Amino acid sequence: MGANKEEYIVEMRHITKRFPGIIANDDVTIQVRKGEIYALLGENGAGKSTLMSMLYGLYEPDHGEIIIRGKSVKFKSPSEAAEMNIGMVHQHFKLVDNYTVGENIVLGIEPMKKKFGIFPYVDMKEANERIRTLSKQYGLEVNPDALISDINVSIRQRVEIMKMLYREAEILIFDEPTSILTPQEVEYLLKIMEELRKGGKTILLITHKIEEIKKIADRCAILRRGALVDVLDVRTTSTQDMANMMVGRTVALKTTKSPAHFGDLVLSVKDMCVRNEDKVETVKHVSFDIRAGEIFAIAGVSGNGQVELADAITGLEKIESGTVTLNGQDITNETIRKRTEAGISYIPEDRQKFGIFMDFSLRDNFAIRRYYKEPFSKNGIFDFKVSEEYSDRLIEEYDVRSGQGGKTIMRSMSGGNQQKAIVGREIEEHTPLVIFVQPTRGLDMGAIENIHKQILAERDRGAAILLISLELDEVMGLADTIGVIFNGKILKIADASTLTSQDVGRYMMGVTEE
Amino acid sequence: MNENGLKAKLARFLTNERWSGLNVSLLCIVLMFIVSSILLLILGKNPFTAFYSFLAGNGFAMKSSYGAGSGMLSDFFQFLNIMAPMLLASLAFIFAYRCGLFNIGISGQMLLSGFVASVTIGYMKQLPRPVAVPLVILVGILVGGALGAFVGYLKFRFNIHEVVSTIMINYIISYLTGFFINSKFVDPISRASKIISPQARLTFTKVNIGGYLCNLPMGIVLAVVMAIIVHFIFEKTVFGFELRAVGSNRSAALYSGINVKRQIVFSMMLSGVLAGLAGVTYYLGYTNTILPKTLPGMGYDAIATALLGNSNPIGAIFSSMLITLFQNGSNYMSSVLGVAKEIASVITGILLLFSACGDYFRYVARGYLDRLADWTAEQGKVLKKEGDKK
Amino acid sequence: MNYINNMIIDGLAFGIPLFIMAVGAIYSEKSGITNLAVEGFQGFGAFCGAVFATLMSINSGLNDQVILYLAIVVAFFGGALYSILHAMLCIKFRADQTISGVVINILAVALTTFLTSQISGVLYGTASNKFMLGVSNRFTVPVISKIPVIGAIFTSVYPFEVLILILAVYMWYLMYKSKFGMRLRACGENPQAVDAAGGDVAKTRFIAVLISGGLSGIGGMCFAYSILSMFSPSIYLGYGYLAIAAMIFGNWDITSTFFVCVFFGLARAGGNQLCLKAGLSSLYTDLFMMIPYILTLILLMFFSKRNHPPKAAGEVYDKGKR
Repeated sequence: MGANKEEYIVEMRHITKRFPGIIANDDVTIQVRKGEIYALLGENGAGKSTLMSMLYGLYEPDHGEIIIRGKSVKFKSPSEAAEMNIGMVHQHFKLVDNYTVGENIVLGIEPMKKKFGIFPYVDMKEANERIRTLSKQYGLEVNPDALISDINVSIRQRVEIMKMLYREAEILIFDEPTSILTPQEVEYLLKIMEELRKGGKTILLITHKIEEIKKIADRCAILRRGALVDVLDVRTTSTQDMANMMVGRTVALKTTKSPAHFGDLVLSVKDMCVRNEDKVETVKHVSFDIRAGEIFAIAGVSGNGQVELADAITGLEKIESGTVTLNGQDITNETIRKRTEAGISYIPEDRQKFGIFMDFSLRDNFAIRRYYKEPFSKNGIFDFKVSEEYSDRLIEEYDVRSGQGGKTIMRSMSGGNQQKAIVGREIEEHTPLVIFVQPTRGLDMGAIENIHKQILAERDRGAAILLISLELDEVMGLADTIGVIFNGKILKIADASTLTSQDVGRYMMGVTEE
Repeated sequence: MNENGLKAKLARFLTNERWSGLNVSLLCIVLMFIVSSILLLILGKNPFTAFYSFLAGNGFAMKSSYGAGSGMLSDFFQFLNIMAPMLLASLAFIFAYRCGLFNIGISGQMLLSGFVASVTIGYMKQLPRPVAVPLVILVGILVGGALGAFVGYLKFRFNIHEVVSTIMINYIISYLTGFFINSKFVDPISRASKIISPQARLTFTKVNIGGYLCNLPMGIVLAVVMAIIVHFIFEKTVFGFELRAVGSNRSAALYSGINVKRQIVFSMMLSGVLAGLAGVTYYLGYTNTILPKTLPGMGYDAIATALLGNSNPIGAIFSSMLITLFQNGSNYMSSVLGVAKEIASVITGILLLFSACGDYFRYVARGYLDRLADWTAEQGKVLKKEGDKK
Repeated sequence: MNYINNMIIDGLAFGIPLFIMAVGAIYSEKSGITNLAVEGFQGFGAFCGAVFATLMSINSGLNDQVILYLAIVVAFFGGALYSILHAMLCIKFRADQTISGVVINILAVALTTFLTSQISGVLYGTASNKFMLGVSNRFTVPVISKIPVIGAIFTSVYPFEVLILILAVYMWYLMYKSKFGMRLRACGENPQAVDAAGGDVAKTRFIAVLISGGLSGIGGMCFAYSILSMFSPSIYLGYGYLAIAAMIFGNWDITSTFFVCVFFGLARAGGNQLCLKAGLSSLYTDLFMMIPYILTLILLMFFSKRNHPPKAAGEVYDKGKR
């Protein structure tokens, strides 16, 4: 490689991109060599995805130049980028559920044949054949005839990779590819990346996980708040240095946690089964207990029943059989409201979908746990003065930044402040049980640290905490007890200190024997 | 770009947090006037004459001549008579829409409640007015409410989308009532149902006010009172808050413990009640008779009227006034201008078209303001840099 | 026997134009645009065809049956032209698709009624609310039509029924076998996937709505030339909504929807024939007209979980959304 060191396959020079209200990229320059794995490291909102989206033709830069193989290009759409052999695996997969794997792969570049020499049609047979060949070549197992709706996330991701290979992409962009995988699946993916590099492909890897970069990347560009901080040789830089550079200050990589003091039994789930709308059993004979002052974390790959489990406890899903007891009170068949009143607080996974009303004011969103009770309303009619005072107090206490105080419409607030408002509202109830589902998804490191502190504070106050997270690091860092869920069953419950993340990962894949 | 230019002012006007709804509606109306004036000019007519005659046709301005016993006042009451069901129908739409539901079935609900009230109370000649009128209103409430609740039930029990079920039900009602009217209650001359007894009418006919014979509609009082009640429910009560919560974000409403299914049924039922009231004020107040197999177009117009009123009950009072102005004034306008009276419906249609784009106007305005803010920031930066250099 | 033959003949004559409107609706919805505007499309298309036919019969001296087919072509383009409005509202102007459909229907009634009276005023001197069109010729296939029951399918057929079926086969092929169809269906399920694969979501949807408008126009014109024998506001009898019912009943699948439409047609014609046979007054036909709607409702009660509308239908597609 040494000789043509300065021959870059991708150059992005002085790229600036604005979105309404923010500068996503501010004068960023990166240069990528052919056949290397080039990582982009940064927190959420640092501008990594935006930068890559421009390389992939989703957006056009406001200023700056993109040079591919020495040629200046201006992509108006992803198809123009694809013509230059650039492919991307998005964080949210772009797959059509009711199409087969093969159909998804060829969508957009359908191979055509003519029936009777006149009627053009999409020739899936030939396409599937080619997919099988590619599959063998790169050790990427996919079945082109399977329906997308029938396969799990890890295989869906392979389909996305196959899409790029089918298009003969040479420059492959991966956007946070490992965030939804088990450690074992991550290994598999990294192996495939190695395989691709050997095949002469150039890989751009967007991630916020430093260990992965350490394992596989050659070089690493660090972005912070839209600007390029530095480009490093991965081999010669320490993990701690990278972390500090990414956040812009010294960070604690491990959360410090005081020793646990368990109290009385708060939540007890016994032999619980849940079926979804299509009568498929999603939670199977699950039993566990949580005591006061304990963080019970459920680890598992997305889609293994953990969301349904939380929904069944809060009352969103009907419990098919078994019991749920909260502080000795049987709440198995209670309504959602009765359960929350019995002592459940809930920080949902998707805050904008479940946690708040975007078109309502901050005041109304704060009041959502109490509005139907006195003094907030009397005989079904509101006394708005009470909720105004309440919201003023919470704004103050939880440091929620809003333009016009309680009158601010939720939609106009930043994501971090929305999350602060939800957490504040729920914590303010001081309930014996607090459920956190993916509490830090999509937040930047500072906010994550803040939420983690609050979870620990709730535990130290004596609340029982049920934490459901797809991030294994979060589970390992916070849990007192870990339960691993696979295919609706809890395969293992153990004291967190007795498990390594490798152990947990194994259970997450459904392997029970050592 | 200019921070204080006309464009920026317009954009701020449209996105004003408190008045955005009203301002966008006003913009729609202005656009409507512009487009329909152009249309009238193409037809070789004077737009001012046209709009004046719309006003005159509704008793808001003087006609050139009046028939014996009628005057501005009689026209005005006639205007109120047809506005009442329009307002009630748009309130019906709003009630469901604020809860995130589309009641496309207002036509059917109006028709069935009007029909049931007509053939029961309307044809009981011996009932005195003080008994007949409350009964008519009660029938409207019950029939409309039952139909609405049925739609809500279909949604919550069988997960059938209300748009689909109401369309089906509309035509079932249309044919069913058509069959009964044609086979039992038809007036052989008018081919519509026989007219109802005067005691059951929701209009005091031919009341002499200052020498003019007027038809005083009770419906308008009912409609305006209903608008105020609906407004109160949505703004001040826990029930209304929960309906709005369900409409704003159904998942979040579920999470916060609101009984979403029950509120959906309630909202559909009350929407049906309002549609039922619209039905009785229309068929027993205004028309007095029912055309078989004809769904009232008002049921669909009401959707757009509600939209023009920004789905706000008080806004609906004004938007239904405006729409009624055109529809009711079309005959007089047509006689003055010599244009087919259907141009009034075309003008209404254009207005509806613009109001359907209301969100787009807001979206564009917001986008413009965001770009303006960036531009201003950039200018500031450039100025600062230049300043630094110096 | 005769009654059954008549039922089949009338049933097909009604069901097949209904079917082509439903195919249009399927195109639009499968691409992700909810379409309640079929009623307006078919009326406007038929209006354009009727104006054309009236002008031709006054000025061209062509045979009425030749004009008829030209008028159907014009109705196709008229419907497509009008549907641009729905496409613009839903795709460009981010209107709520249900509301847009309702508004489009209201406007169609208003516009065509107004223009009918304006144009007829110019053509005939006095304004009228209709254009008289006459009825299409029919043909009977020799020999095959003599087979009992099945022969009725080949008896007294409107030529446009055959044309529609040929067109429908092509539309089926386009939807399920072609590149365009594959992208179109993907647009209704996950537009992001199409966008990422280099397809143009807005353009695909636009074309789909236009197809819907055109096919609806054909349907409307065929009704004008059969049941109604004229164009007037009575074209807005709700057949557009019936086509939507058929589409839902057929689970957004062209083949199933075909059988549903034929069934709707047979139920309607069967009702008429039953009334004739039993010597009932024709008023009772109204009761039979309710059957398709009631059946659709009942079907949904039992199978609404198996009914799969396109996932992305009704949503504004925002390209910037990730």
